[in-house]
Amino acid sequence: MESSIAQDQSPISPPASSWIRFLRSYGPTPNNLNLFDEYVAGALSRAKVQPITLTSPHMEAMQQRAASGALGSILIAGTAGDGKTYHCRSLWMSLGGAMKVWSAPDSIKTLDLADGRRAVFVKDLSELSDEQSDAVLDLLERSVLGEENTKFVVIATNHGQILERLRDLGIRQHRVHPLRKPIQEAFLLSGGLHERLALYDLSRTAHRQSLEEVISAVAEHPEWENCQRCALQNEGRICPIFENRNRLMGSINGVRFSDRLGDLVETSRLNGWHLPVRDLLALVSNIILGHPDAKEDLMSCSEVGRIQSAGTVEKGRLYDNVFGANLPRRRAMDRSVFKAFSTFGIGEETSNGSDGLLVYGADDAKLSEAFKKLVGSDQVYGATATYIAAQQHYLEGDEAARIDGGQENFLSHLAAQRRRLFFTLPENEPDYHYWDMTAFRYAGDYLELAEALFERKAVSETIRARLVRGLNRVMTGLLLENSDRIFVASSGGFTQSRISVLCDTQTTARRQGGLGMAIKLDPQTDRPALDIILGHAPGSGAQFTLSPVRFEFLCRVAEGALPGSFSNECLEDLLAFKAKLLRKAERLRSLLTADDDEEGSAEEGALTLNFIEIEKDGHGFTRPSTIRIV
Amino acid sequence: MPLNIEKVDFTVDEHIWGHRLYDEQLPHLTVLEFLSVLGANRANPLANDRTTDVRYMPQQQIRLRGLLFNNPYVETVRDRGDPDEDKWRDWMELFKKDATGRDDLDMEYLRKSFLTFDDFAKALELLRSSSFEARSNKRWSSKFVFPFGPDALYEDLRIDSGGVSNDRRFFARTGELLYLMLSRASNGRELGKKLVERLFDASVPMNRLVKVLQGEPQHAEATKIIGQRYLPYETHPRFDRMCDDWLAILSRDIPVYDALEHLITSAGLNLLLYFLECAKAHSGDDEPVEMVCEIISRERTKIRSLSGKSYQAHQAVSERAVVSFIESIKLEPEWTVALESSDPEGECLKLMRERFQWPPAGRDDDDDYERLRGDELVRNLVEKAKSRHDQHFGKIHSMWSKSIGLSSRRLARGNRYAPNDRLLKTLVITVVDERMQFDEFLHELRRRYGIVIGDAEGAHLVKQNLVDQEALSENRSNLEARLLGLGLVRRLSDSCSFVENPFASEGKN
Repeated sequence: MESSIAQDQSPISPPASSWIRFLRSYGPTPNNLNLFDEYVAGALSRAKVQPITLTSPHMEAMQQRAASGALGSILIAGTAGDGKTYHCRSLWMSLGGAMKVWSAPDSIKTLDLADGRRAVFVKDLSELSDEQSDAVLDLLERSVLGEENTKFVVIATNHGQILERLRDLGIRQHRVHPLRKPIQEAFLLSGGLHERLALYDLSRTAHRQSLEEVISAVAEHPEWENCQRCALQNEGRICPIFENRNRLMGSINGVRFSDRLGDLVETSRLNGWHLPVRDLLALVSNIILGHPDAKEDLMSCSEVGRIQSAGTVEKGRLYDNVFGANLPRRRAMDRSVFKAFSTFGIGEETSNGSDGLLVYGADDAKLSEAFKKLVGSDQVYGATATYIAAQQHYLEGDEAARIDGGQENFLSHLAAQRRRLFFTLPENEPDYHYWDMTAFRYAGDYLELAEALFERKAVSETIRARLVRGLNRVMTGLLLENSDRIFVASSGGFTQSRISVLCDTQTTARRQGGLGMAIKLDPQTDRPALDIILGHAPGSGAQFTLSPVRFEFLCRVAEGALPGSFSNECLEDLLAFKAKLLRKAERLRSLLTADDDEEGSAEEGALTLNFIEIEKDGHGFTRPSTIRIV
Repeated sequence: MPLNIEKVDFTVDEHIWGHRLYDEQLPHLTVLEFLSVLGANRANPLANDRTTDVRYMPQQQIRLRGLLFNNPYVETVRDRGDPDEDKWRDWMELFKKDATGRDDLDMEYLRKSFLTFDDFAKALELLRSSSFEARSNKRWSSKFVFPFGPDALYEDLRIDSGGVSNDRRFFARTGELLYLMLSRASNGRELGKKLVERLFDASVPMNRLVKVLQGEPQHAEATKIIGQRYLPYETHPRFDRMCDDWLAILSRDIPVYDALEHLITSAGLNLLLYFLECAKAHSGDDEPVEMVCEIISRERTKIRSLSGKSYQAHQAVSERAVVSFIESIKLEPEWTVALESSDPEGECLKLMRERFQWPPAGRDDDDDYERLRGDELVRNLVEKAKSRHDQHFGKIHSMWSKSIGLSSRRLARGNRYAPNDRLLKTLVITVVDERMQFDEFLHELRRRYGIVIGDAEGAHLVKQNLVDQEALSENRSNLEARLLGLGLVRRLSDSCSFVENPFASEGKN
């Protein structure tokens, strides 16, 4: 870095350069040490800037509990990057522990509290030897289940480690460890814990909020003031770092960018991705500093001048940086945030309309107004000279532009523009919808549904109808249009068979008199769920939780996609759900026939098979085929 | 230990595995034969009484199977625009042409049940769509309707101009052995009760439909007897394992017809392990059976050659068992006594005959066994036994492991263990009660079935430098990803995932 400063035209470092260097160390470099609590302090004192401070929803509760003298132990669980060490250290300090002791290399530290108790801190369970861990777990057990009131442990651990250690210990002691199951259930949110064991699961924080907090902590950091007096962004010069930071703050389109980013984070979370704070910091750092031509793909102030002279400011667009497009693919995919975002396919996914706009918009009279408004208005990252040139070259240029990879240049521009559109298209733009730029076309509807349920508002009829249609198509394998009822169908034999024409039972698409389908919010997972009840007997219902990807699956199937072509995982999940419903139907039937027996009508009489048939308009109905039993 | 089995040239494999396991009787055929036995013993299912042979008179259901699998005319007749009356008449004429003459010439009774010919055709279509191998080119008398209930069961038959006979082509007693095995398991009676309760409910709609087509059941003419001596082990850990696996599957919250699919796969896997375990035990190998499984992923894995070797080793183990079982007679004290007697040839021959039911007594054979020395007799039998073994017993490992989805040639030249999705699903549904930590699941697969997938289970292989640890842990991750794709794994964080049984157990919700 020193040498690159030397090469720079201005002999004096730009005013914000030490802050940028500090921020840069949070980015997805191969060795982003700052993201480890252990290194932050040193980096801070070198940079002489204020730290990036984030509040933690758990911190206060944790400190209160420890200080209150409540008996029992504390477990701080989380994934790598959630801030386990940070929390553990903060608790240590708040209880009067010395920084010096903390920084010493040993993994177990003890602290005598003012109330006479002794706290044993384990800053990372995975660092302990078997003997150490046995001793710590023994203390944990005694302080939670036993009589140990003078000592307690504070253990920072990832989820797998503690469960594994407890299982292993249990096996060696020839018993089932009494704490293992409760802790496991607590991790999975399906059980409460002993009152003498406090669990702080850092991976369970709301992501959208964490993102907003990280954005404001970084983008509103006082050091940005220095940029105001920086020559690199004055007199018509555009500093991509400052530009990105301003756009992140809402200089263009207000909160649209951060809202959409929040949607991505939220949708990822509901799809089961966990994005630790460390990743969110890396993401925001990369959004601001990413540039494929910079050293380690992250800009520092000293490189901005060179980038400006080369005319490649636009390559640092934040819209690309969100997805780690500035990074080598492998490095990007090492981080769960970029991996999660890659599932949206933004840049590859598109609609005919928006691609038409991006390819022909500049010349086509019908499109030019929209082009001007949606692309042309942005001179920095939108209709830049290089983009227009590439477009012209592609449309009019020689043959070479279209064959032998000659179009690659334009296609990469196109991908970048699609990413940009995702973040900039207005909410109600009639012909271009931003979710159409993703693999989750229905994610907007999904988030709307989740919000409606959360606020106890009515579910949109269009959404319900589409879900029911998708459900019916998976259940039967037939292209049904019905949206008012749900067919629980079988083929007679295995549930797995693709086509099921035999209707076991049917129910209404909305809950009536305690039966039928209701769309509810699953309190455990925060997600909408389809709750279908087939009969009044207890245990006659089954629930299907909707993640964004499952929702997408049902919607796509409803709109004509083949179930097997979208996601095997979703299909399997739904077939399992179908099997459950069939089992409920089977049990209800056996209850009913048990009644019939008493009336002596089961053996004699008739058997009715309800075949599902389809009218010309796609509407399914059941046609009973009655068979007399003689 | 005389075995005395009629119509068998000699008894060797029969001592090791029983009479008998048969390669072409794939697991679903085994379970169907088993259900036939169970159906006939519904009053006292899977009773373990070593003093009484199991008897059953299987159903034959000639009309039902004829309607389903020897009746190509229904569709053509249905599609004609003729009046209903004509359709029935035309179809009956056509059907009669191919009928067997065993109470299947007069099908008028169908008209009393089905209001229209189309209804009748539709019902047949439905039953065919769920039957086993409906579209295969097997003879029609070896095709089977789904075992919806007691009326849907019947035995495999050869039906031709000569009449009806058991040629034991696909029901070769493996299902009978399965019945003995499960009846000897500790929890056999409980399983018997459950199976009868769930699979022999005559009132379920599909069984009633089958009954309408069949009318009164048609039985075989003679009672079949399953000699208790046909299964050489009074108890065996594998019998208990299989029985408990079946009980677990039946306790899940799934329709019984889906459970059946898993029962079949589970039977196949446990029978295969029984086959390998007995073979190993008889060839003097005390190590537990171990199958290194490659989890196929997009990228080539280093486990492939190891799983191929593991497969190949098992291919050879049964023949080795046959050879060493025969040769072990030479180590018996009686053999030494015989050799030292005044008539060593005669005494050895006597011993051979007692043990192996061979050489045949009083037959005018080309071979004159009477004059052979003891070791020549043994060598002679080894040759004969090897060549008989090769025909069927020796193919069991490859046929069954392929049929349950345990072995595969996908992306490779040779066979190796590479479980498919269906098998993995059965394993999860069997092993996991509700949820289980992923590592524990791997451990359980190893403990129960000798399946080696991850680095913890294959640690000894790493130690022997057969494979590097990284390759095994990659294999482990591939499994996690596969199960995730099947909706069977829930990831808590990058360090921790759980295998979840989507059908946990009855009574939830």
